[in-house]
Amino acid sequence: MEFLNPTGLFGLLALPLLLIPYLIRRKPKRIAFSSLLLFLESGEAASAKPWGRVNLPPIFFLQLLLLALLIVAVSEPVFSIRPTNIAIILDNSASMQALEDGKPRFALAKERASAIVGQLGAGGKVDLYLTTPRLEKIHAAPLAPAEATGIIAAQMPYDLAEPPTDYGNLLPQLARQQKFERIYLITDHPARGQSVAARVITVGQPRANFALTHLEVQRSSLVNARLEARVEVANYSERDEKLKIVLKGNGAELASREVVAGAGKTASVAFEGFADRPAYEAEIANRDALPLDNRRFAVAPASRNLRILGITPRPRELDSLKAIPGVHIETIAPSDYDQTERTGYGLEIYHFAAPAALPATAALFILPPENSSLVDLGVPVNNVTVSNWRAPHVLTRYVNFNLFRTSYARPLKPQTAGDIVIDSAAGPLAFATERQGVRYLTLGFDPFPYLGRDNLPMSVFTLNLLDWFFASRAGNSQATGEAIFLGKVQSGDRLILPGGKSLAITPGAGFFGGAFFQGIYQLNRGGTVEMYARNLLDPGESDLRAATPIAIGGGEQSSGSASLLFSFWPYLLIASLMLLLLEWFLSPRMASIKFWRGPSRAAQRS
Amino acid sequence: MLPSPFTPHFLTQLETLRLRTRKEFLGSHPGSYSSPRRGTSLEFADYRRYTPGDDLRYLDWGIYARSDKLYVKLFREEVDLFAYVFIDASASMGYPSRELKYLPATHVALALGYIILANHDHVKLHLLQEQNGLKASPFYRGRRRMTDCVNFAAAATPGGALQLAPALGDHLKTLRRPGKAILISDFLMPAKAYQAGLNLLRAFNLDIAAIQILSRQEVDPRFPNGSLALVDSETEQEIKYRWSADARSDYQAKLARHNAELRSFCHQSGIHYSLYVTDRDLGEFVFATLPAIGLFK
Repeated sequence: MEFLNPTGLFGLLALPLLLIPYLIRRKPKRIAFSSLLLFLESGEAASAKPWGRVNLPPIFFLQLLLLALLIVAVSEPVFSIRPTNIAIILDNSASMQALEDGKPRFALAKERASAIVGQLGAGGKVDLYLTTPRLEKIHAAPLAPAEATGIIAAQMPYDLAEPPTDYGNLLPQLARQQKFERIYLITDHPARGQSVAARVITVGQPRANFALTHLEVQRSSLVNARLEARVEVANYSERDEKLKIVLKGNGAELASREVVAGAGKTASVAFEGFADRPAYEAEIANRDALPLDNRRFAVAPASRNLRILGITPRPRELDSLKAIPGVHIETIAPSDYDQTERTGYGLEIYHFAAPAALPATAALFILPPENSSLVDLGVPVNNVTVSNWRAPHVLTRYVNFNLFRTSYARPLKPQTAGDIVIDSAAGPLAFATERQGVRYLTLGFDPFPYLGRDNLPMSVFTLNLLDWFFASRAGNSQATGEAIFLGKVQSGDRLILPGGKSLAITPGAGFFGGAFFQGIYQLNRGGTVEMYARNLLDPGESDLRAATPIAIGGGEQSSGSASLLFSFWPYLLIASLMLLLLEWFLSPRMASIKFWRGPSRAAQRS
Repeated sequence: MLPSPFTPHFLTQLETLRLRTRKEFLGSHPGSYSSPRRGTSLEFADYRRYTPGDDLRYLDWGIYARSDKLYVKLFREEVDLFAYVFIDASASMGYPSRELKYLPATHVALALGYIILANHDHVKLHLLQEQNGLKASPFYRGRRRMTDCVNFAAAATPGGALQLAPALGDHLKTLRRPGKAILISDFLMPAKAYQAGLNLLRAFNLDIAAIQILSRQEVDPRFPNGSLALVDSETEQEIKYRWSADARSDYQAKLARHNAELRSFCHQSGIHYSLYVTDRDLGEFVFATLPAIGLFK
């Protein structure tokens, strides 16, 4: 027997309320007697207490049964015949790694799934789905139960956030389209209601949890090698917690701090002056329900030596950047662009040039030719005056725009979304945008050559833009599931996953889309190693206090599901009605049983 | 009009009975009860030395022949009887109803009264009530006054609380002649209360008979099981009581113990005692039970 509306069973908790009328002291029958002499020893004086001893007449048990039947009827009990063609959707999102009495939720989900499959007959068919990174079937043809059990056992949860999905509508729709007799969703979300075709099985309870929500490792500035790290922790519990944060570099502890995070709030802690390591990891030392989000990874910020590739027809102007400490620039002519190996550069400056497609590294476009993918150019103007600028912004800080003069400029006409950083009466002069973590800046004027103190506003702006690009190469991480752009792949390049597994990268592959696990991904490219950090960034997965319930409507049924159900709650309602009639019939008669009640008032008066 | 039990046949039967007293009283007229005085009855009392002037008919010649001394035989004086019937008319006598307890109690009193009247003795009815003012009839004599007795007794309505000894004391203050006292009550009061009352009657040199009147509902209460609020009919005191078969047995055991204490006290004090449950036949009670306790000659 199952219940289509199991929430109704909570009504059984209200059954004890039926006792209240019986607990409340009813005014007892008042009977006059000649003398109370012989009763005084064992009687008690009348009191005004509202509560008395429980005196449960037989009618109480009739009422109890009536109420219980009604509650069970509201829960819509059904006898179901076991389906043979089912689908099981396993929630493999990051929150399924939370521990329930030392056991991960996903392991519990697999046990429930295996149990469901085990109840199928030999001729049963099972389709298996995973919810992340997107809801999709993990095999082509329907599986036999034994085969499905093996596949279920091999599944692992991803360190990914669950994509927003309306399961309330999706499950019945999927069951109808794929002609499943029943579809099970095993998740850590609570269910609100069940339907014949779609069942939600909930594993796990609301729990307190802490999470590292931010880790950023960067250098103080372009010319300062001192490292800084900022860690943010969130406390998803009902009480304040003192958390110990440990910063590690290549597995070795570098520093640790303690911070108090208020209930439901975040706290941040900063580390400074630690050793330079290729990769960093912050960790919460305290134990909680979800260990996954207690760790967060970041790669080391770029070396303070910024390697720049300049594509310019006028290399001498770009060479002036060599006057800035830590900047190494190599220039090529635009015609040599295709033949040049462009790996290892932190910034590409396209001086009066533009590539056919946006480069995978940060790029500065200075007066690009017409029909650039980012901007179009307006009519040239001379001695343009800056009329507006973004502040505060890294690009505009410390720049005195009253003295900022460009002898030649072409206003920009942005063709894509981004920020207009510097504006003039003729139009935008600086346009910044960011795509997949890569920053692009387009200027409608030429800030070069770098003249140092001879043109302070422009020099400050130039240093700012280098800082801005430099910051983009800081140790920021991206979310799990985001692709790792591989650039130009050569034979022999390998990608090492956080678990240590090494993948050979096919030449020509532009990106790696399987970064579903949190940690450091290492791209071995010839002799060099590039590192990419991926972290679980969705606080919804870390907040285990109250998952969003899944509301399943009972109205829609798949074509094959109607025959699987024998609903008998109407019979319970009929039984309840009969009990009600019985109570109505019995109650007044039980009250009027002829007990002797003392002399009538009329007799006493006569 | 006489109440229903008092049929001509019943009255005729009553006329055959005479009250028995265990004390001698000074009567006002010649009667059938012995007096402490010497008189002219046939019952020998004593001898005394002859003094001149004594009636020679009473000389005991047998003694003179044996002792050569003259003695005169003395005989008891037989006088009429003054009887006082005290009827408890408190509220408890109206339980479960006046018809089921008080009137049967008056029927007992009237039956005894008729016996007294039929013997040309004096009877006076006293109602024991809390109310101010003594309710007592005049002395009745002769069976024709039976109707007056009935009217007096039937006119009363039980009510109020009763303190037995003070109520009796008030009535006894008006008594001028000793005699027979018959106390009719349910005696549902503490032992000290009824003992004080009965002792008061004893102190007035009355020959006492106590008749306890209980209704069937008092002997065997039939309340609905469960919680009850029992109200004392006299004091209005209310108690909570959980009634059950066990409680009923407990009550009956206490009532039996209470009655046994009353009977024991009466026995020790020389008081006739009998219990009349009102659903019993009055004739059976009067002609079988009361003679058995020695109330009648």
